[in-house]
Amino acid sequence: MNSTKFTPRTKEEIDRKWWEIGDYFRRNSLWMLMYCTGCCAIELPPAMTSVYDMERLGMGPMATPRQADVLLVTGYLSLKTLRRLIYTYEQMSEPKYVVGFGSCTINGGIYHDSHAVINRLDQYIPVDTYVAGCMPNTESVMNGFVDLMELMKTKKADGWKRYHEHYDWYKENQKAALGEVEVHDEFHE
Amino acid sequence: MTNSMNNVHEINNLMGQNFSLVDARILDAYQVSYELEKEDIHRALTVLKNAGFRQLSYLSCVDWPEEDVIEMVYIVMNWEKALHVQLHAKIDRNNPVMDSVLPIFPGAKYYEREAHEFFGVSFPGNKDHEKQLILENWDDMPPMRKDFDPRAYSDRKFTKRPMKRDYEIQDASSNKEREIKREARANALRTGGKE
Amino acid sequence: MILSLVIGFGVALGGFAFQTALGGVNRKIVARLQKRVGPRWYQEFLDIFKLLSKRSVSHGWIFDFGVIMALGGIIGTAMFMPVTENIVAFPNFDNFFIFVYLLAVGMLGMAMSASGSGNPLASVGVMRALTTMVAYEIPFMIVVLTIIKLAGTSSVSGIASFQQLAENNWFMIALPFGFVVAVLSLMGMLGKKPFETYIAPAEIASGPMVEYGGKQLGMLFIMHEITVFIEVSLFVHLFLGGAENIGMFVLKYFLVYASLNLISNVNGRFKIDQVVVFFYKWPLALAIGQAIIAIYLGWVI
Repeated sequence: MNSTKFTPRTKEEIDRKWWEIGDYFRRNSLWMLMYCTGCCAIELPPAMTSVYDMERLGMGPMATPRQADVLLVTGYLSLKTLRRLIYTYEQMSEPKYVVGFGSCTINGGIYHDSHAVINRLDQYIPVDTYVAGCMPNTESVMNGFVDLMELMKTKKADGWKRYHEHYDWYKENQKAALGEVEVHDEFHE
Repeated sequence: MTNSMNNVHEINNLMGQNFSLVDARILDAYQVSYELEKEDIHRALTVLKNAGFRQLSYLSCVDWPEEDVIEMVYIVMNWEKALHVQLHAKIDRNNPVMDSVLPIFPGAKYYEREAHEFFGVSFPGNKDHEKQLILENWDDMPPMRKDFDPRAYSDRKFTKRPMKRDYEIQDASSNKEREIKREARANALRTGGKE
Repeated sequence: MILSLVIGFGVALGGFAFQTALGGVNRKIVARLQKRVGPRWYQEFLDIFKLLSKRSVSHGWIFDFGVIMALGGIIGTAMFMPVTENIVAFPNFDNFFIFVYLLAVGMLGMAMSASGSGNPLASVGVMRALTTMVAYEIPFMIVVLTIIKLAGTSSVSGIASFQQLAENNWFMIALPFGFVVAVLSLMGMLGKKPFETYIAPAEIASGPMVEYGGKQLGMLFIMHEITVFIEVSLFVHLFLGGAENIGMFVLKYFLVYASLNLISNVNGRFKIDQVVVFFYKWPLALAIGQAIIAIYLGWVI
């Protein structure tokens, strides 16, 4: 039998309750960054338009990394794109999520033996969930989004926390593959 | 048809009179191909540019490791006569140096940068030809050469995901027959049934 | 005094809640037009609260201060807005020119903080916003000055009750050219297509809002919703005769906002020079013509 006296909750419980409320808002209004990295980006317009409407889940496209929640890495990542993608990922405001589209982010896909395409995305930035396929079907894409929302509900989508905790490991991997992460090209100089 | 064949013969006469050609081929009504010595390329490009071929369509290389040469390919196009002329020149593979055609065609700047980056050909006369264009921080041999192994590079530099192989090929020989038949069919289609 | 403040805050908060809900409903209407299902009706609330719960990056004190100034200014402006004849927070202070002045505070705050962020795209966006403001203000001002001359008072609730007298028509019918000009100016004020140049997502990466994330963006969204509430309410009071009770006000507001949304849904986006040239051609001519007809010739329907 519960006692009827007022029991003050601990700070962790209050924080957890706030975080759950915040999670409800965050998972019902995900804003994705329209950064279409590779060929799998062509699966995004069918997901946004009539039949498989993405807006009823609350997702919508946003223009800049600072305003977006989800970074959709659609397709293969060449070395040049990976440098700029790391810039973009570190600019986003937290909490932020990454979804890897297509087989090229899982194990390299059909470009696995190329000299300019990386093979495993989660060595360089933390990935929350993958959508497999080459290209994935549009229903798989919607399923992937719903899976991401489920992960957010059960508090397993903590890629951004992992990036903070294992920052040195990620940086080491990035340097090993890229040489250096700074971008030096004719437009920046 | 006859109009363009007239153009082709015209160009054939022009080139044959002025240069010592190693090889001359008419590919179809719109494309002609000549092979020259390396020193004649600049003069040939100037002559062609004065004859109306004012667009440099392409500049690239073909790598022949067995013969130890790199073949430079220049394709120029004439807008009035609708004719492409290909010029080939073979240069030494171990020390590939080719004078830049930048004074004749200024648009060759980026083509020469790409040829330097991917094949290792240097172009004295093009002061930007060693700046990186497509690859950044490249640390290996020029990647389009035929003895570059992209798979070995990829295995060395990028970590792979460990996958387990949970299937096995039951009977390798039954596939072999199908493969032979498929190869024969492909050959027949490729050569028009002659072989 | 305290009662006025409480009513004022109530108007601002109620206006914000009403406009946010209406924004979600309008997204649903537009989606149904495009044969989609559309988001939930409370989707805009979820967006704003999601933004307020993210950690954000700050670019200096002027960046934060500009946003707070914009939000505070706009809440202060909304407190003066009369809703019906009875729900007016400060009965003698709802002059039209007070609204025009105080709306500029919001724009100024956003301009200040956008230039404090250091991104050149933000400066481009702010410049475009101010240019658009120069374009739509002049025809709108001419029409409103005509209305003030005809109604004899420049108080917004005074104009609304002038239209509710028995022998007067609403100014929508009495000044038809002026009504058309005001609709175009209202679309420019709200930033709806085709006058969406200053936000222009994916062209200048949403203009002044390019460097905002998290809490500042949430505050900017709240500011935008309250701005829309103020402007459409002004339009309802000036041209549609105000409202006798809350139900009529809600109905008129909804009709105006929904039709504007539907019009803007089928349009592309102008370039900034096209916006200025557009507003200085026919709307200006119609506004001046309407002023001459109504004041000097006296032909009011």
